[in-house]
Amino acid sequence: MTMSRRQFLKQSALGFGSLALTSMLTETASAAVDPLAPKKPHFPARAKRVIFLFMKGGPSHMDTFDPKPLLTRDHGKPFPGNKPRVQFAETGTLLRSPWKFKKYGQSGIEVSELFPNVAECVDDLCFIHSMHGTNPAHGGALLKLHTGSDSFVRPSMGSWISYGLGTENQNLPAFVTVCPTLAHGGVNNWASAFLPAACQGVPIGNASVPVEQAKIRYIQNAGIPAGLQRHQLDLLAEMNRDHLNRTGPDLSLEGRIDSFELAFRMQRSIPEVEDISKETAATKTMYGIDEPVTSNFGRQCLLARRFAERGVRFVQVTHSDSMVQWDQHGNLKKGHEKNAREVDKPIAGLLKDLKSRGLLKDTLVIWGGEFGRTPTVEGGGNDGRDHNPEGFTIWMAGGGVKPGFRYGTTDDYGWYAATDKVHLHDFHATLLHILGMDHEKLTYRHAGRDFRLTDVAGKVVTKILA
Amino acid sequence: MKRYATLILICGIIPSGFAGEPPLKPEDVRFFETRIRPLLADNCFSCHGPEKQKSDLRLDSAEAFRRGGSSGEMLINSAKAEQSLLLQLVQHADADKRMPPKKKLTEKQIADLLLWAKMGAPFPPKTTATPGEKHWAFQPMVNPVPPATKDNAWAKSPLDSFILAKLEAKNLRPAPPTDRRTLIRRATLDLTGIPPTPEDVESFLKESADNPQTAYENLVNRLLASPAYGERWGRHWLDVARYADSNGLDENIAFGNAWRYRDYVVAAFNKDKPFDQFLTEQLAGDLLPTPDTATRHERLIATGFLALGAKVLAEVDAKKMEMDIVDEQVDTVGRAFLGLTLGCARCHNHKFDPVTIDDYYGLAGIFQSTKTMEHFKKVARWYENPLATPEEIAKKAEHDEKIASLKEAIKAIKEAVELKKRKDELAELEKVSAELPTALGVTEGSVANTKVLLRGDHLTPGKLVPRQFPVVLAGAKQSPLADKESGRLELAKWLTKKDHPLTARVMVNRVWRWHFGQGLVRSTDNFGLIGEKPSHPELLDWLALRFVEGGWSIKALHRQIMLSATYQMGSTFDANSAEADPDNRLHWRANVRRLEAEAIRDSLLAVSGNLDKSMGGPSLQNIKNRDYLFDHTSKDKTTYDTRRRSIYLPVIRNNIYDVFQLFDGTDATVINGDRATTTVATQALFMMNGPLMVESATKLTSRLLEDKTLDDAGKVRQLYLTTYGRPPTDREEERAKKAIAGFEKELNADEPDAVKRRAKAWAFFGHVLLAANEFIYVN
Repeated sequence: MTMSRRQFLKQSALGFGSLALTSMLTETASAAVDPLAPKKPHFPARAKRVIFLFMKGGPSHMDTFDPKPLLTRDHGKPFPGNKPRVQFAETGTLLRSPWKFKKYGQSGIEVSELFPNVAECVDDLCFIHSMHGTNPAHGGALLKLHTGSDSFVRPSMGSWISYGLGTENQNLPAFVTVCPTLAHGGVNNWASAFLPAACQGVPIGNASVPVEQAKIRYIQNAGIPAGLQRHQLDLLAEMNRDHLNRTGPDLSLEGRIDSFELAFRMQRSIPEVEDISKETAATKTMYGIDEPVTSNFGRQCLLARRFAERGVRFVQVTHSDSMVQWDQHGNLKKGHEKNAREVDKPIAGLLKDLKSRGLLKDTLVIWGGEFGRTPTVEGGGNDGRDHNPEGFTIWMAGGGVKPGFRYGTTDDYGWYAATDKVHLHDFHATLLHILGMDHEKLTYRHAGRDFRLTDVAGKVVTKILA
Repeated sequence: MKRYATLILICGIIPSGFAGEPPLKPEDVRFFETRIRPLLADNCFSCHGPEKQKSDLRLDSAEAFRRGGSSGEMLINSAKAEQSLLLQLVQHADADKRMPPKKKLTEKQIADLLLWAKMGAPFPPKTTATPGEKHWAFQPMVNPVPPATKDNAWAKSPLDSFILAKLEAKNLRPAPPTDRRTLIRRATLDLTGIPPTPEDVESFLKESADNPQTAYENLVNRLLASPAYGERWGRHWLDVARYADSNGLDENIAFGNAWRYRDYVVAAFNKDKPFDQFLTEQLAGDLLPTPDTATRHERLIATGFLALGAKVLAEVDAKKMEMDIVDEQVDTVGRAFLGLTLGCARCHNHKFDPVTIDDYYGLAGIFQSTKTMEHFKKVARWYENPLATPEEIAKKAEHDEKIASLKEAIKAIKEAVELKKRKDELAELEKVSAELPTALGVTEGSVANTKVLLRGDHLTPGKLVPRQFPVVLAGAKQSPLADKESGRLELAKWLTKKDHPLTARVMVNRVWRWHFGQGLVRSTDNFGLIGEKPSHPELLDWLALRFVEGGWSIKALHRQIMLSATYQMGSTFDANSAEADPDNRLHWRANVRRLEAEAIRDSLLAVSGNLDKSMGGPSLQNIKNRDYLFDHTSKDKTTYDTRRRSIYLPVIRNNIYDVFQLFDGTDATVINGDRATTTVATQALFMMNGPLMVESATKLTSRLLEDKTLDDAGKVRQLYLTTYGRPPTDREEERAKKAIAGFEKELNADEPDAVKRRAKAWAFFGHVLLAANEFIYVN
């Protein structure tokens, strides 16, 4: 029996999550391999992990990192070009940015006064000013950004990356999303769709919960002393082994026995990651955790570092409150100021912290929203901008991208991506490339064809690579 | 012509070149294919073929041949073959009209052409079908004779002969029959989704002692008659129907009336509605003539199937939204009933299956002519069918009238006491004033054919295609659909034709999958070229044909399957068989299967005595139809705090109940006829720490502790009977008692109260029983 069992169970290297014993049921092959076992990339990677700082609602590029002098000059005039065929709402004349820009660092890159702390790190940042997507509504744009598709349920980029590279820490998930929004695609923005379930993001709380209270579900059972639960699990394992002996070798049954041990380890390791009490005061200050305005996002960023340094492959941190945080159709001045204040210091803290720990060189940090905003005014108050997927800015740091570098432009007013355009598909292709994967080779057979994160599109933006 | 060829091929007869003429003689076909077609292809087609048509002449089909070129003269006149234009040309008789112009044919070739002309120029369609056209699933079903087997004692039905023959061919033996306790547990969970009670098991054992066969038949019949059957198998169908109580995608708005469709499905399974009727009602229930209001409403509700898709309701581009919704319908219908991924042909001809972009837009036209939406302005609003009876409408009108006149009256009242009284009266009236009932569903829209959209993009429309069915299945010569109807009813009629090669096969295979854990075709939703081939093609056809002939009865199909020896096999492992067939494709034993998410929850509730068996009704509490489930706040307003069966829990897209998410429930957005079974650590966390586990364990054991007639050994025995349907072994009993005592001792410090301590210790033990593999797996 031992021998045939070995043949039967060959390749059952069980890791965290182990296990996607797709139990002979998938349309593809039935080889039961741990989908999260560490895998070699297609070619040497520039970064091993990703921290995605997602600014939900669509931060305005003209007011943050993409200064437009002509917009200031032509304030109040009509936009001289053609407006897009489909728009989310009607907008009026050009609206200048209420914030001043200043040059920073060796690179002399201009940043608005909304981000004084991030501006200090500008020599580490690689801006893509010519981003563009397709969907001008939050839901579609979030799905497009996270999954590459705004029409169908598809695996999220974090799931693709987990699937492609596996995880290096068998006690933690490969993909963690801290306080994600449940609106506008919700779970689909971190779900694995048809990829193995172990590749899905594990949510810690959601956008309506302060991060301090955010927990992975079922991580604790207050009703039972820890030692006793261990004995419960010992009994369970014994009973499960008896059952297995009666049934005969079975990957799924055996995987389940292991899964309880993994869960028990996870139950211990996750609270340890979430417990920031051992961080120094200096670190906490750096992230702004000691100030009420920045405390929540600061904790999120610190958690991101703690997960990243323990080998989690993809950590997403979402900046969203109980409203669509960055969505200033009106109240641009007040809203963007509040939002920027909440994230500016924590983000700068994260960048500095990663750098000083030597983590920035193989961690790719990404900052961005689902779209940008229009250079024209929305509403009567001269204080609002509409959604704009036609041109916007994201930035990256670390992970082998050119530091202190700007790539691509929008037009003179910031409506359309103009030169060196980077579509969201190109962004995904580049992201995978930085992690050592060829976006055309990272495929999964489902419902009769091979699927990719980039569908049938996507070009790697090689010019931003250091 | 090529399409015509395809149609003919599917029909399996060799036709003549011209419609309406008698079939060609095989020897004529052979002559043409060996002597004439190669000649034409080598010498003529480059100028008169698919690429070029000089002088408006094509020579690559019978029809084209007959039509001739721009001169209008017939190419061949078989009565005067020598004088035929074609022969004149190839003989270079006229210096100005020589064909081929540069190189004269050989004498032999000219003689062949002459002979052919005399034969009447038979021109059979091209017979080399593409691999797609030859694909097994597109061929007619055959009625196979059950194969002979060496062992003629094992089979209980012809079904078993098909299974046994394949096993014998590999020198394998089926596992011995399972024991009676396992059998009743398997059958009960399979048909009802909840385990048998100790009493059920006891009476089955007793009955079996007299006559095992009758006892088992009675059991299957009793289970099929139980309302829980419809809840279990209705849930399976809801996986196919991508059922949900909310829209999901971008604007997650409540489908407040979707539950009516869910209840329709449960009832359909319970009353064994013939599957052809079930299908027809879901695609075209609104178009069926109906004898009475109740039936009419039932059929309107059934069309919810088409309307349940997830829609991008804030899509700014209205035309794109419309085509996306149509696409979702084409794709769902294709995969649900045909097992074909028709959605692939939205942008281009299907890469693998013989489905063209024209086929896609032929179907798309049917759904574009169907009204699913009230409007496409953001946020778009879906259509619902009115369900009110005339009495309800009259009553509502009367009620509204009362409110209106009271409001009018109040305006005139000055006196405070009187005013208050009347206002209270109004409030009371308004409280009972409810919306008239409606159901998510479709109706006829403005009927029109649609244009092919190149690359699937509505900004690049191509040619107009008629509304019709895929040519590879229905042929090129389809009678056009009526101008005044979308064609949904015709579509349903076509799908439920007795000789349709896919509909019955696909459904029979689904039922097989839900019984055994894997289909005869494992890719249940894909019967195309990329899908898997059937492990037992003859058995699939045998079952499908009987399904159709037996009036599409699903319950009869269950009996067919469950009364077989194959179904009643044990799950005994065998190293030899495992090596020869590791995936158990040949059914050498019963698969050990994990329960689905819903069955896990229902079983927990059932064994702990917590299950509320009330059936049907709305899923959503505190949320009205078309309300947002999630606005920008990410606050979850949905409650899962009910003891009812899982099928009645709200299915909220983008945020499926987490316990169901954990255990591979569907995402409720795309059809899923073959749920995965994954094992991940987060499931174990739920099993260890989930409140449902803790509550169920507590309830399970506290009931037992109250029973004074049982000693501890008796209690342990009762726990095993309740959870696993079997008594514990002596060793298990000892181990249980020891474990409980150990827990009690460990609790000493935390729980000073001895009674509570004992209760907790038992609950901890019960918890282990419920978390164990034996509880959530079926052998």
